[in-house]
Amino acid sequence: MKLRLCLFLAVISIALLHAGRGETSRRPRYGGTLRVEIGAVLHSLDPAGAPADPDEAAAKNEIDALLYDQRNPDGTFAGVAGSGAFHISEWESGKHVMLAANENIRGGRAFVDSIDIQMGRPAKDRLLDLEGGKSDFAEVPPEEARRAADRGVRVSTSQPEDLVAIVFVGGRAIADDAHAREALARSIDRAAIVDFILQKEGEPAGGLLPQWSNGTAFLFSTAADAPAAKDLWSQIRGSPKIVLGYDSGDLLGQEIAERTAVNARDAGIGLDVAAISNPSTSPLGYDARVTRLRMASSHPREALAGFQAVLAPMAGLDPSPLPAAAAAEQIYERERAIVSSYRVVPLVWLPRVYGLGPRVRDWKAPAAGEGWPFADVWLEQESQ
Amino acid sequence: MTFRSKLFWIFTIALLVSVGVIAAGVTVVARRAFDELNRQHSEALVSQFEGEFQRRGQDVVHRVQGIADAEGTVRMAIELSRPKADVSVYVNDARGVSQSHQLDFLDFVATDGAIISSNEWPARFGYKMDWLTQPQDWSSLGSFLMKVDTQDGPALGLMAVSTVRVGDRDLFIAGGERLGKEFLNSLVLPDGMRALLYLDLDPDFQPTNLVDASGPVVDGERLASFIARERQDPRKQAFEISWTPNPLSTEAFHALPLQGRQKELLGVLLIGSSQQEVVKLESRIRDLALAVVAMGLFFGLLLSWWGTARVTRPVRKLAEGARAVSEGNWGARVDVHGRHEIGQLATAFNRMTTQLTQQREQLVQAERVAAWRELARRLAHELKNPLFPLQTTVENLQRAREQSPEQFDEVFRESTGILLSEIENLKKIVGRFSDFAKMPQPELGPVNVNNVVRGVVKLFEAQFGAVGRPPITPELHLEDGLPTIQADATLLHRAIENLVLNAMDAMPAGGVLMLRTAHQNGDVELEISDTGSGLTPEECERLFTPYYTTKQHGTGLGLAIVQSVVSDHGGRISVESETGVGTSFHIRLPSRPPLRPAPSHSPDPPAPAPSENPEPAAGEGA
Repeated sequence: MKLRLCLFLAVISIALLHAGRGETSRRPRYGGTLRVEIGAVLHSLDPAGAPADPDEAAAKNEIDALLYDQRNPDGTFAGVAGSGAFHISEWESGKHVMLAANENIRGGRAFVDSIDIQMGRPAKDRLLDLEGGKSDFAEVPPEEARRAADRGVRVSTSQPEDLVAIVFVGGRAIADDAHAREALARSIDRAAIVDFILQKEGEPAGGLLPQWSNGTAFLFSTAADAPAAKDLWSQIRGSPKIVLGYDSGDLLGQEIAERTAVNARDAGIGLDVAAISNPSTSPLGYDARVTRLRMASSHPREALAGFQAVLAPMAGLDPSPLPAAAAAEQIYERERAIVSSYRVVPLVWLPRVYGLGPRVRDWKAPAAGEGWPFADVWLEQESQ
Repeated sequence: MTFRSKLFWIFTIALLVSVGVIAAGVTVVARRAFDELNRQHSEALVSQFEGEFQRRGQDVVHRVQGIADAEGTVRMAIELSRPKADVSVYVNDARGVSQSHQLDFLDFVATDGAIISSNEWPARFGYKMDWLTQPQDWSSLGSFLMKVDTQDGPALGLMAVSTVRVGDRDLFIAGGERLGKEFLNSLVLPDGMRALLYLDLDPDFQPTNLVDASGPVVDGERLASFIARERQDPRKQAFEISWTPNPLSTEAFHALPLQGRQKELLGVLLIGSSQQEVVKLESRIRDLALAVVAMGLFFGLLLSWWGTARVTRPVRKLAEGARAVSEGNWGARVDVHGRHEIGQLATAFNRMTTQLTQQREQLVQAERVAAWRELARRLAHELKNPLFPLQTTVENLQRAREQSPEQFDEVFRESTGILLSEIENLKKIVGRFSDFAKMPQPELGPVNVNNVVRGVVKLFEAQFGAVGRPPITPELHLEDGLPTIQADATLLHRAIENLVLNAMDAMPAGGVLMLRTAHQNGDVELEISDTGSGLTPEECERLFTPYYTTKQHGTGLGLAIVQSVVSDHGGRISVESETGVGTSFHIRLPSRPPLRPAPSHSPDPPAPAPSENPEPAAGEGA
């Protein structure tokens, strides 16, 4: 009996020792290079300049949020300011940027020694590199999240904070027809877009703000109503056609536009899809475009104001800003006013999805308006 | 046209027709042979296409079946058979699977017909493909043509359907290949041939739906009528089209209808065969035929020319001989030898001319004898009358000398008067004969026949209405503007005078004397008609024979003189007469007498002794 008890205690001790060693390995560790891959291609990190491409602008913002450097006008590293988490140690325009940890940052040095950011990596290659252990961190398109997870990639998903919407541009005949706008808005099966195109990563959007933001999203209908759309379209004289554009490099935008065309066709609405290679081309070759908008803040008023700032010149909306202390009702009414005009047709909410390598630890998906928290991330030492 | 020319043209036309018929026949036969060859070629190609089509269909069936049998598809079917299965995870599967199986169209369709995943129209997920849920044994159907809705519009597909059944739920896999320019590109076609495909996807003909291996067909709308015909009556048909006015652009097409499961027309395959080589070959054959025709004609014409010359030479000689005979050379002979018909004819001709010459000589001899006899008779008759008084006067003189010398002087005076009178009479008779024998050579000068006629009529005006004689009414129908002719006015005047005298003699009871002039082709025609008793045909025949007369006291020289004058002027004289109605003399005088040897004015009989009286034989006609 004693022998049995001794054996039991020995086993427990060994188990505890192993568990203790494992616990020790989960403690933050300094060192290592975090390998990051992004799709955008940056040719400058000049703080004064902002890329026209939304993906490039977003990527630049993310990198900017990590840096506390002094930089030259061309964006190259000019010296350590002494207060940032990282500074640029290598810069190869359009290819990669190496960030080194700032040793003297207030609040403590970042765990990783450096961050190697490879630019211009397609989503497919980013996932393959994650799977193959060649990278530690990459943004994953929401529609690929489920497939990536199925393939064993660690996936981190944020709250839905990117709004995909159809924005009717002002000054176009069919775009200025309220019946046409409403008919198209009612013809779209948003749930199918979420389920099939986004592979259930996202939410159907009826309003401009997500449910988690101000809690009024449920008040906006997201259901398709093809008969009503057909009825509305039949009230339009002649046989017009809506040209729905999407950015030529935006695969998700293309898929959503094409699905919208199918729904529209089912409702008898004439709609052609066109890729937009140069959005600034004038005159515009489209009446509406699939637009992706990122919430500037998790605060409803600021988020709506951000959307309004972007959409007002594009869709000819009321540009008057919300009061600084706008109440929830005012925010809702403004949101309702925009949505009821059908100049902006919210389609879906998208989360930000990140793929993580197996050695990345203590990663937390950033909130809306926040950058990548790489200063808090540490890398587990790879087993020898 | 000469006999030789006629013969030549007959040979030429016969040759032309023969060669033309042969050339046309060769061309037609060649054309038919080419058409047949082309038809066989096209049919072989159509058969090849049908075989290729079936092979492709089988291939599509196998590939679709391969997809259905794949583990992933079976797993999908199993997953979908579960309650509340999540179909969204398969929304992009069709794209990858279709690429790996090289299919243009691929749809995974749930048991209710809802599209799970579509390659040709990825955004169409969730919509129904009801035709798949209709009762159908897809495995036995094999491949079929179908109008497929794609993101870019309708397309024509060679489709197959397989099913994976798990429990009571089916997973449909509909896949296929697009029929278009890529499909046409994959067809192996001989040089000069091409395949066009019309995709009958719109209610009306759309030129953009007509494609070849490189894309939409240029000028495709020109085939609209043929496509329309095929749409009305879908069956294998053939037609030709010339893309430009140049025949080399001609292209022969065989149309093959492409029908779907319900026998609806979905497309038309057009196998085009350029007729360029055929047209070139036909053109070469035609050129060769034309060259053969030209050479045949050339040598044929030469041969015809030579042959007709050879054939017609004896005929021409015969004609020349006959012409010579007609011109009076009765001794003409034809130098033609041979045993053929022409040779026999020539021998007969020569024999005939020999006989004619002999008979003519005999006839001339006989006529000469007859003429001498007639002359002797006339002379005897004419001379007998004055001779008898001479004889009796001389006998009276002798008797008066012997029996009544006292009355002899008176008798002598009377007798010598009578003798002188009768001798004068004899001189007149001799003069008339001499006058005929001494017809002068015409002295030609410009003569207006109308004037001569008027002169003659004026000369006889007094006699026409003489007292105690039934009146004769002269009627002159003289053409105005009658051309002058080269003639001897005196001789012409004498001839007309004789004819007028004859007419007056023919109308003892009076009547109408009609003189008419006219001109034709430069010749002058003169007609002198009376309304007398007329002549018998026998009299007409002998009318111009010298010394022939129907009158009691005629010499028979008047009309002979007229004929002589007319003949010396190169003219012709003829007579028409009807007993009891009258007689018409027709004279035709040329504008200028032909040059000819000096005419012989004396007929065959010896001319009478020259007369001292130069008076013409007026009134001595018929």
